[in-house]
Amino acid sequence: MRRKIISFFGRRRTWSIPYAIFLLIFVLIPLALIVYYAFTSETGGLSFENFRKFMQHPEAINILIYSIGVAMVTTILCLLIGYPAAYLLSRLESRMASLLVMLFILPMWINFLIRTLATVALFGFLKLPLGEGALMFGMVYNFLPFMIYPIYNILQKTDPNLIEAAQDLGATPRQVFFRTILPLSIPGITSGIMMVFMPVISTFAIAELLTINNIKLFGTTLQENIYNGMWNYGAALSLVMLVLIGITSLLNTGSTAKASEEGGLI
Amino acid sequence: MIKKILTSSYLGLLLVMLYAPILIIIVFSFTEAKVLGNWTGFSLKLYASLFQGGVTHSLSAALWNTLIIGLTAAFISTVLGTVAAIGIFNLQQRAQKAISLVNSIPILNPDIITAISLFLLFVSVGISQGYTTVVLAHVTFCTPYVVLSVLPRLYRMNPSLYEAALDLGATPFLALRRVMLPELKPGMISGFILAFTLSIDDFVVTLFTIGNEGLETISTYIYADARKGGLTPELRPLSAIIFVTVLILLIIINQRAVKKTNLKTT
Amino acid sequence: MRTFAQPKYPIVIKVLFLLIAAVFILNACRESEQSRKKILKIYNWADYIDEDLLTEFPLWYKEQTGEEVEIVYQVFDMAEVMYTKIALGKEDFDLVCPTQYIIERMLKYDMLLPIDRNFGKTGDFLGNISPFLLDRMDAFSVPGKKAADYMVPYMWGTSGILYNTRLIPTKEVQTWGCFWDPKNKGKILMKDHYWDVYNMAAIWGFYPEIASGKRTRYDVSNDHTPEDIAMVEKQLILLKPNLAGWEADFGKEMMTKGEVWMNYAWSGDAVWAIEEAAAVDVSLDYVVPREGSNIWFDGWVIPKNARNVKAASYFLNYLCQSEITLRNMDVSGYTSAIGTPEIRDAQIDTTLTETVNLSYFFGPGNDSLLVNPIQYPDSSVVERCVLLHDFLDKNDTVLEMWSRARGDSLNRRMIFLIVGVLILIAALPVYRQIKKARSKKRKQTKK
Repeated sequence: MRRKIISFFGRRRTWSIPYAIFLLIFVLIPLALIVYYAFTSETGGLSFENFRKFMQHPEAINILIYSIGVAMVTTILCLLIGYPAAYLLSRLESRMASLLVMLFILPMWINFLIRTLATVALFGFLKLPLGEGALMFGMVYNFLPFMIYPIYNILQKTDPNLIEAAQDLGATPRQVFFRTILPLSIPGITSGIMMVFMPVISTFAIAELLTINNIKLFGTTLQENIYNGMWNYGAALSLVMLVLIGITSLLNTGSTAKASEEGGLI
Repeated sequence: MIKKILTSSYLGLLLVMLYAPILIIIVFSFTEAKVLGNWTGFSLKLYASLFQGGVTHSLSAALWNTLIIGLTAAFISTVLGTVAAIGIFNLQQRAQKAISLVNSIPILNPDIITAISLFLLFVSVGISQGYTTVVLAHVTFCTPYVVLSVLPRLYRMNPSLYEAALDLGATPFLALRRVMLPELKPGMISGFILAFTLSIDDFVVTLFTIGNEGLETISTYIYADARKGGLTPELRPLSAIIFVTVLILLIIINQRAVKKTNLKTT
Repeated sequence: MRTFAQPKYPIVIKVLFLLIAAVFILNACRESEQSRKKILKIYNWADYIDEDLLTEFPLWYKEQTGEEVEIVYQVFDMAEVMYTKIALGKEDFDLVCPTQYIIERMLKYDMLLPIDRNFGKTGDFLGNISPFLLDRMDAFSVPGKKAADYMVPYMWGTSGILYNTRLIPTKEVQTWGCFWDPKNKGKILMKDHYWDVYNMAAIWGFYPEIASGKRTRYDVSNDHTPEDIAMVEKQLILLKPNLAGWEADFGKEMMTKGEVWMNYAWSGDAVWAIEEAAAVDVSLDYVVPREGSNIWFDGWVIPKNARNVKAASYFLNYLCQSEITLRNMDVSGYTSAIGTPEIRDAQIDTTLTETVNLSYFFGPGNDSLLVNPIQYPDSSVVERCVLLHDFLDKNDTVLEMWSRARGDSLNRRMIFLIVGVLILIAALPVYRQIKKARSKKRKQTKK
């Protein structure tokens, strides 16, 4: 008997069982609970009323679309600003290179509330008004390092031989960039987009603080509903957000796959 | 030549934009003025008053809680994650894929969804929210990262080492301790550090699972203060201290990495 | 056999494990020590009571009844959080201090227990409450349950405008219209609190009818008809672009910094803000505009799941004593519902120049007292204030209206942008197909 027990624990794949149970309880069941609450009315019966409520309320959809818009603007700005920065950083060869990179990554590790409050302080210091502009600035400020980091990583790992080969084959620097480097860095770009787009939609503290509660993002609506006890409606909204995530990640993996098919070496 | 100037000025400008807000806060943490922007003479009073909070809202309590929760969650995650990684590594293809997929859910989910799902779980089961729920929640989103830290090392490990130990007469447990764990140690350590950092920095999940019995972490403390008065003067020295701590940590990590690469090349 | 050094980490791991286990055990011990019967669980607003009383009351209780009690005190800072907790039914607070409309809701939905007035040899101090509030409280009684049996008013006040006397002339803030005046754009902070804002918008919107006598302020504020709600929404939409923002707590900060000139505030908060601002040489004042506003009060109730009704009732009795009341007023800065002569005498401030008519509160003969008019409004102010009822079954409709008025940030610019980006994303695969087709053609012609 003792042998059986020892050999049971000796077989290392059974070691995955505790974690499997843990994942079941703390990841899968909570998600199932969200689905359950989303499809349950406040009185406890099965119903679509939460989704109907969402559809019938122009302001909820209004906020969702607005948040998507803010996320798009933030992502595009982060890409436009961050890609060149990541590219330049990956080309650096001085000893300061790793220090500089670290300086760009550092803000990611500072508590995001402090970063947001710092932006509020900056605007107060410069006597600029808070509002939509402040919100955009704050978003880009907060999420720029998250875009730079994955792109920098990928660019670092790019095989320099590929670049040399392209140059040897007679490509102009412009062609080298657009035909070789850019396509190869697409996994980094998609990674960056994923780390910026969805979090922007789902943050709530940033909008509150940078627009003095004037502008509400989807994350704020979500948080408010849960705080006010409207769990069913809040769960339904969470489900909507999950669907959004699903769509964006599908789009992303789709474009990554396409890019790796083409390779860029036309 | 021009390229270099352009490069440095672009990166320099970005760095200024990234650090201006924080530096302003740090500079003005050394003065007593209530309004950010007035300089009323050098003073360390804000730093002194930092640790004299009231009964229900004390910074030292929040700091202490953050550290304890961080260490506990990181420890549990590391143990659970390592055991899980060993187990997953030894699973067959389909089971491995399944559990890896579920493992990646907490990583891909926006933190507000994780927060809401766990909130619903704790409320449905009836656990009163406090230390336990926060630690459990943190373990939930930290362990996947530990698993992802340790698994690669398992793949890189020479499988025959373990077999050799068994052949030489070691019991499976001894072989595990003496052969496997030392190999996995770097992955475990980086997993632990990652889990600890994630836990300390976390805001949204903590906010939803902390209940209202007065438990506070640094993030919720700052949030409560911010909702009362934006960036209160007391938050300035706190931000400065956090910034300097993270800076020092990253410099240390950076130096160690540089030393490693130097050792490798010599 | 063990010739190489033991790795250090098992020891570290063991120590860490013991530490963590110790933390958990200590936590668990704390909770299971006391028997529940000897505990009094109180749930109150933050900074709303003199906390020394929490240790003094058990001594008084032992003296009066011979029984032991220990107070477990929790605070909240948002009414919704408190209500959600209580409504969930999993908590067992003995005493809660909600605002009057939430008390109305709780009483209507049968969530409260009556107060036990069998105080034995202890005097009954509940009679110290001013009849002014007792009368108004009666509006919340439901068939079979008199409000006075279920609640004890604690602090009360008015809602009005906190303004910076140097940045905006006093005569402008005598009317709510200053909030809608484009001259003040970006200098106004509104409360993120739909009860008060509804009341203000309704009174402002319907003022012509109130002035001509067609409708009373009470009806305008408490009828909640669809037309009323529509009017409130209309006023809110006009108001929103004129505001700097919405706050729940940081209004006083921004006022003190001079970033905004006016702030919708409650009288108790205003008193505190004026004091703080004076300390940094900023001059603030508070006024209830002439169109009218609302009177609110917070009151103690005993929720249904309470386990220690006796100690709870004694605590309420304890609080209604004059000396205890004065201490709480001192610490919180608010105005108590207690109307004893001792309280009145303690408020007299001979440095003031204008007298206030407080006969409605302290009884006849008190019509010219030298007291702070913000804490104790003159009868002329009280006459134009109403007590707000809860929205009850109209609550969802009002909340929807509130979200609608607040959540319309979507503008044309944003829509164009989103559509533009979506078109680009859709165009990408199309562009790729074209390129593929072209390069295929090229390859074919080459052959």
